[in-house]
Amino acid sequence: MRYLLRRLSHALLLLAGVSVLTFLFTALAPGTYFDEMRMNPQIAPETIAALRAQYGLDKPLPLRYVSWLSSLLQGEMGFSFAYNSPVAPLLLVRARNTLLLTITSTLLAWMVALPLGIWSAERLGRLPDRLLSWGTAMLLVIPDLALALGLLVFAVRSGWFPTGGMASIDFEALSVFNKLRDLALHMILPVTALVLSTLALLVRHVRAAVADVLNAPFLLAALGHGIPKRTLLYRYALPAAANPLISLFGFSIGVLLSGSLLIEVVMSWPGLGPLLLEAILARDLYLVIGGILFSTFFLVGGNLLADLLLYWADPRIRTESNPR
Amino acid sequence: MRVRRALTRWLVVLGLLHGIVICAGFFAPYDPAEQDRKSPYLPPMRLHLLDSQGHLHAHPFVYSLKLHKGSFDQYEEDTTEAQQVKFFVSGAGYRLLGFLPSRRHLFGTENARIYLLGTDAYGRDQLSRLLFGGQVSLVAGLLGAGITLLIGLSIGAVAGYFGGWRDTLLMRLAELFMALPWLYLLFAIRAFLPLTVSPLKAFFLIIVVIGTVGWARPARLVRGVVLSAKERDFVRAARGFGATNGYLLRRHILPETSSVLLTQAAILIPQYVLAEMTLSFLGLGVPEPVPSWGNLLSSLQQYSVLVSYWWMYLPAVVIVPFFLVYLGLASSLQERGDAYKIETRSLGNLT
Amino acid sequence: MEPLLKVENLVKRYAKRSLPGTPEELLALDGVSFTIFAGTTLAVVGESGSGKSTLAACLACMESPTAGNIWFEGKEIANLEERARRQVRPQIQLIFQDPASSLNLRWSVMEVLAEPLILQRKFSREEIDLRVTLLLERVGLSPETLKRLPIELSGGQRQRLAIARSLALEPKLLILDEALSALDCSVQAQIANLLMDLQSSLGMTYLFITHDLAMAAHLADEIAVMDRGRIVEQGPAQKILRHPEQEATRQLLAAMPRITLAPPSLEQ
Repeated sequence: MRYLLRRLSHALLLLAGVSVLTFLFTALAPGTYFDEMRMNPQIAPETIAALRAQYGLDKPLPLRYVSWLSSLLQGEMGFSFAYNSPVAPLLLVRARNTLLLTITSTLLAWMVALPLGIWSAERLGRLPDRLLSWGTAMLLVIPDLALALGLLVFAVRSGWFPTGGMASIDFEALSVFNKLRDLALHMILPVTALVLSTLALLVRHVRAAVADVLNAPFLLAALGHGIPKRTLLYRYALPAAANPLISLFGFSIGVLLSGSLLIEVVMSWPGLGPLLLEAILARDLYLVIGGILFSTFFLVGGNLLADLLLYWADPRIRTESNPR
Repeated sequence: MRVRRALTRWLVVLGLLHGIVICAGFFAPYDPAEQDRKSPYLPPMRLHLLDSQGHLHAHPFVYSLKLHKGSFDQYEEDTTEAQQVKFFVSGAGYRLLGFLPSRRHLFGTENARIYLLGTDAYGRDQLSRLLFGGQVSLVAGLLGAGITLLIGLSIGAVAGYFGGWRDTLLMRLAELFMALPWLYLLFAIRAFLPLTVSPLKAFFLIIVVIGTVGWARPARLVRGVVLSAKERDFVRAARGFGATNGYLLRRHILPETSSVLLTQAAILIPQYVLAEMTLSFLGLGVPEPVPSWGNLLSSLQQYSVLVSYWWMYLPAVVIVPFFLVYLGLASSLQERGDAYKIETRSLGNLT
Repeated sequence: MEPLLKVENLVKRYAKRSLPGTPEELLALDGVSFTIFAGTTLAVVGESGSGKSTLAACLACMESPTAGNIWFEGKEIANLEERARRQVRPQIQLIFQDPASSLNLRWSVMEVLAEPLILQRKFSREEIDLRVTLLLERVGLSPETLKRLPIELSGGQRQRLAIARSLALEPKLLILDEALSALDCSVQAQIANLLMDLQSSLGMTYLFITHDLAMAAHLADEIAVMDRGRIVEQGPAQKILRHPEQEATRQLLAAMPRITLAPPSLEQ
């Protein structure tokens, strides 16, 4: 229990720290957002002054942070100048879409990488393993940008998949089953791109972690006791590999989140990525901060989940944090 | 030994690849900014040795492209005149390695223009743009990695050597930086900097931005090395001879970090080149008209270009050989690091 | 006659924080006192964990004691600040247990030996070359060794190199922290003899830390037995061996390997 509380407080501190960091970035930026607005002749100087006062941009930085933080805790994340609407609802919709994409891709990627990595580690150094290493190396060196663009070309040329977006025009009119089918069709390309871009790295790391465990002396001793290989793998080796694998899982969430940004933009998937990009190009201060915080929140949350899994899976962690 | 030979092989290939890009002016037939408004989106020209009448030529040649009758975007070869490809021709001026003025190019044609990789919307030769764009992207990656490793080395050394509150503070800061997905962090830092700057300023700006994103992991690795090196007996012995902290760091401890730094360099450089490409592709990096592998791809954001003009896709794959070599280099470096450790351990037991 | 080294009531406490909120303290030295006269050898014998290495670190000015005094040549050195400590350190040298880790294996033998001289910054290149050759001779290594790497040397040779290096600055006191424990038996004897020769020719003073009572008896004039941070028994070497008073000493004696003439079963 103490372990979980400790990890939770650690995660919250991390989020707080990131919020401070992002706030600091805005303070250090040469030229404020409102300078760019000032150059826009359609916006009256009085509006700008009023906005500045409203957001307290004249007050010193710590005060601004505190007032922003307090409104954040009430669910208010600021106002988007470009969309002319509060930030929170914009982000929530997009965040849901990003989560959908990222979670699906994570599950899929692990469902492929785990068996492949284990299979490869069992045959370490032999031909199948070497071929797989070669394959993953080839996949690893292809940039995600090339993958995403390539899949897009394939979609257009073949006509089998929609080339972007999350829903067809007539989505609302479809039956429930067809809605799901439409969603799935739209998801196939971005998910494929995301999975392919991280698969190579995952397979390699899984293989390394499992190979390490397979080389451990205790496993050799168990083999000497006459325990059959299948049992060895599933009841002895894999539980021992759970610790590094779960840590890898936490790490993979970060990789997938980063990857999703680019893929969402290229494939027009309405997630946090394209929103963040637009916000940056439009110099929309609070939207940018909100977007970054959301992505960090997901990453930190994912890692917390990994910590929980670790607590459940690794008895050493349980005894370490609960000394007699 | 074997590892050293593999390492040398990778370094040689790396040098060759980078050499071609460094001498872009020589290998490229044209200046990357030269426009040819009459020839937008020309497909790549094919090299021939046999002409349409079946004669074998002594030199390779190309045919100029002319529009199909009745079409305004379909091209065919104009077989009336074979444009001979000459080697070591004189062409547009450039500066080799940045300061040696020269007019010599590897190849070129006399009367018409040769477009081995096609042209873009403004009729600019894609091969030349690819080569010069490589300079921008690769340098951005190299310098960015340099900055990251410098920051990571300093912070890791301070945290590991002095320990205490410095260590806690710096490692917490590192955790913060690692809590953000790196591409989001990159965008965040880029977001709060001016959007429209001159190409040169933009170039250095994104190098600094890319460089500040990834220091956390190298810093941790360096810290680990410094922590264990600090406790080694030869460091304590040197202290016994009157060594100061600065001496110990400089002569004994930091040299131990060299292998970690090199391996990190081999991993970071391709990542950072990709970061520059991503930023420039989305319009946040190096702006037109300066070519970079990223902004060469930005026209692909329009479907019409993506689908019809396949040669505009090439900058996305040109990085693949570079990545391969860096990957091989990183593997060899790690093997070498492991081998050295095993060596010292086993020989330490010989009495 | 003034002792070279006088230690009075040395205390060293370490604060360990394994889990946040539960500070543990480790009492490594609990009031240690002894004196060493120039030209003699004191052996400090004890099991692991008795505080011997902490004692060595404090005496060599690598750590500061929590309480107590150390007088070296009449001057108090336990509570000096860093700059003054750096002046004292060259005169009290430490030789470590593992010859492989006490030398930077990336350096050549020449660099290893020259390091202390270069750090002192008062010697020219030629002087350093000369001194290095002399040092090698003194420890019984051939000048050929200069060209080799420490990796290529045997354990015994490396330990000779370590001794040579520590002699470079002409220290008054040499602290040998289990310096022979990692060597083969025959090599131990060779190095021990070297040390004895150096003592008689240079008038070196040794503080010999070990867990091996037999070795201590062979090399030392006086023996001090340490147990859990305290000196429990102290006296001339032969007296300790023959008439041990404390339990700890008796246990150390019992641990010494002895050669019996015939296995017990044959006596029946």
